[in-house]
Amino acid sequence: MHPPHRLEIRGLTKRFGPVAAVTDVGFAVEPGRVTGFLGPNGSGKTTTLRMLLGLVEPDAGTALVNGLRYRELPDPARTVGAALEANNFHPGQTGRDHLRIYAAMIGSPDSRVDEVLSLTGIWDAAHRKTGGYSTGMRQRLNLATAMLGEPPVLVLDEPTNGLDPEGIAWLRRFLKEAAAEGRTVLVASHVLSEAAQLVDDVLVMHRGRLLAAAPLTELAAGTTLEDAFLNLTGALA
Amino acid sequence: MNRLTSTHLIHAELRRLLATSLWKWGPLAAVFSGGALTILCVLVGPENFDPPMPGVDTAAGVRLVLSMIGLTVLAPALFGALAVTSEYRHRTIAYTFLFAPKRHRILGAKLAAYGIAGLVYGLIVALSAAAALYGGAAARGIEIGASPGAVAGILAGLAAAMTVYTVIGVGLGALIQNQTATLIALGAYLYMVEHTLAIIPGFNLVYPFLPGGATAALTESSLMSEAAVEVTGSATPLLPPLIGAAVLLAYALFASAAAVLAPMRRDVA
Repeated sequence: MHPPHRLEIRGLTKRFGPVAAVTDVGFAVEPGRVTGFLGPNGSGKTTTLRMLLGLVEPDAGTALVNGLRYRELPDPARTVGAALEANNFHPGQTGRDHLRIYAAMIGSPDSRVDEVLSLTGIWDAAHRKTGGYSTGMRQRLNLATAMLGEPPVLVLDEPTNGLDPEGIAWLRRFLKEAAAEGRTVLVASHVLSEAAQLVDDVLVMHRGRLLAAAPLTELAAGTTLEDAFLNLTGALA
Repeated sequence: MNRLTSTHLIHAELRRLLATSLWKWGPLAAVFSGGALTILCVLVGPENFDPPMPGVDTAAGVRLVLSMIGLTVLAPALFGALAVTSEYRHRTIAYTFLFAPKRHRILGAKLAAYGIAGLVYGLIVALSAAAALYGGAAARGIEIGASPGAVAGILAGLAAAMTVYTVIGVGLGALIQNQTATLIALGAYLYMVEHTLAIIPGFNLVYPFLPGGATAALTESSLMSEAAVEVTGSATPLLPPLIGAAVLLAYALFASAAAVLAPMRRDVA
């Protein structure tokens, strides 16, 4: 069992030139639950995740994993497994080669590569070059990379993009099991119907600001997540 | 305690290097740069060049033929540049910085891995050039005009230069990041800017201190200097070999510093 890891975001702000991508965003993500980070495309979800993961420098605010910034984590890839865009692969490398590179980086044996290939169901495609992968296979390879270090925290950006219905059902089971094992799971998505079947807690982003942070049962009490979301964003006529 | 050791990071970079088919072209390019170019020069004979130059039965002729290899440094420089630019092009840099968020460490590992690869490239260049020099001379029935020790010294210097240019490529790639822009910058500098500076009066004073001039110092011979004499009637003297080596080393250190510092705070889209 993993020790619990809490994510804490305080006052995160980021501008790209004249565009305020994220403005004063703050929330916490608790272990043992699946937290949905919901909002339309361009609402600031990805920028917030990238600031959490040390890829983008915030103009203000902090993003902490168990009280530490991502860059300060003693063993980052064994603490946080992140799956961002599913097209970050060298097309000339096989799926197995891609995983072997990052396994070597954290000192994991090649047997761990075999484990994550089996876990994510892309064993048969492991010897093929990633340039020939479908979007769904890329998503699975993305998740396999995130799982290499057996991290207690999972941060996933639109993980169902390109997955077929079977893949989405598998991912739902996988993430619920991960949370049940005590992992902290943060999933960004703009597909509310899928999120409604997956998440325990909901964070709603709109135009770079956090509009709501609550358990799903509270936010969508007596209505659907979609209607609750549209009410919050003012889009429901 | 950070479990990301430098050994792990260098191991990962060597795996990355061998995971695509690019590396297979390295030895071929090295044999072409060292062996093919040298044997062509030896078989044609510098004395048959236009204008005629000393033949390989003289020490000056041997230095001239081996100095041609210095004109092929674009290959290891491009190879080194791909270490970083390929990561940005295919966006694997996001994974890399997620696994090693202290970015200077991953760039240090790339410099080490590509330094090793550059040295291997340089050794293949040197060995194939030696085989071509002696094989070509034997085929023509002439004696090499330099001692084996002198030839070995020149080739060792060229092997080291290939390593340095690989490291310079890594540094430039980290600075520019864009693959196409880096390749154009390297090609334009090595084959246009430096050559032009070598023959412009006044500017040619700096040529011995530029990477190309410092490389030429290792062989104590430069086709660019010969060209400068043709065009202007004179050429700025090259640096002594050891000073040339020190200048090249300084460029390698500067490129290493640039590689380590450049990506520190940049956002990864």
